[in-house]
Amino acid sequence: MVFLEVEMQGNVVVPPDQLDPKGLLLRKGIVLRLLEDIASRKASKEHGYYIAVTTLNSVSEGRVQELTGNVVFPVSFNCITLKPCKGEILMGTVDKVLRHGVFLKSGPIDNIFLSEKKMEDYKFNVVDEPMFVNDKQQSKMAKSSMVRYKVLGIKWMEWDRGFQMLATLAGDFLGPI
Amino acid sequence: MSADDEENASELKIGDEFLKAKCLMNCEVALILDRRLEQLQQMSDDPTSQMSQVFERSHQYVKRFSRYKNQDAVKQVREILSRNRLAEYELCVLGNLCPETVEEAIAMVPSLKTKGRALEDDAIEKMLNDLSLIKKFE
Repeated sequence: MVFLEVEMQGNVVVPPDQLDPKGLLLRKGIVLRLLEDIASRKASKEHGYYIAVTTLNSVSEGRVQELTGNVVFPVSFNCITLKPCKGEILMGTVDKVLRHGVFLKSGPIDNIFLSEKKMEDYKFNVVDEPMFVNDKQQSKMAKSSMVRYKVLGIKWMEWDRGFQMLATLAGDFLGPI
Repeated sequence: MSADDEENASELKIGDEFLKAKCLMNCEVALILDRRLEQLQQMSDDPTSQMSQVFERSHQYVKRFSRYKNQDAVKQVREILSRNRLAEYELCVLGNLCPETVEEAIAMVPSLKTKGRALEDDAIEKMLNDLSLIKKFE
């Protein structure tokens, strides 16, 4: 998975009761607020998943909002993001095995569907648990197996604030590892 | 970018953001997130409140899938890969997937062999050998 470190601009809103005459505490308040904001934002269509803020680069002059007394600080920060890309080769773990395919997970991305049609050498089978088996290569995929796959398609789901992906094993060196 | 302009990682047709921003490998992200977790524990009484699900799951993922664990090894991996005039994106894919043979490397990153900038097989093989040495001595 290829992560990106991106510089972003944003606004941090600090309520008046968290303002402190000592500047250091204010900075801490801004940092905590920013981390919270990013944690709750989860992901966006343009940036992908927001994973962690790494540095706070600058804090500009705050503006007081007249009605609430909140102070808004424009900030610039670096954030690690993850945006999947069509054609990319990723690793993931098997989450669910169904008759018509498997669902995979790769870090923050769940809902990665690998259809049985995209792995024709593998056949559905139930031995002790449901799994897909390749007789020729003697490899199998069951729950929590690790799989290397290629991204076939991506769709942003606004209601879920996340991506859905389709995977394929068509290609060399793809499959369970 | 519009939805249908044929983004395709295998031909290195990727979003501008991948070319402008700094790309990171799994093992680098693992180190950063480890440190971030420590900081959060020191900074706040209740570290879980600042830790999103996305953070937690990414952390688990990079820990499970990164091939190089210690900081020096991670640094060396980047150094070896960057000797070969790779795009940042290609560098990260190779560092993450750790192909063992030249064929595997090309299958993982087909753009290694696209016109104009084709890397010699020997160069790729040397790079893979150097990487496997790091893993052995880690």
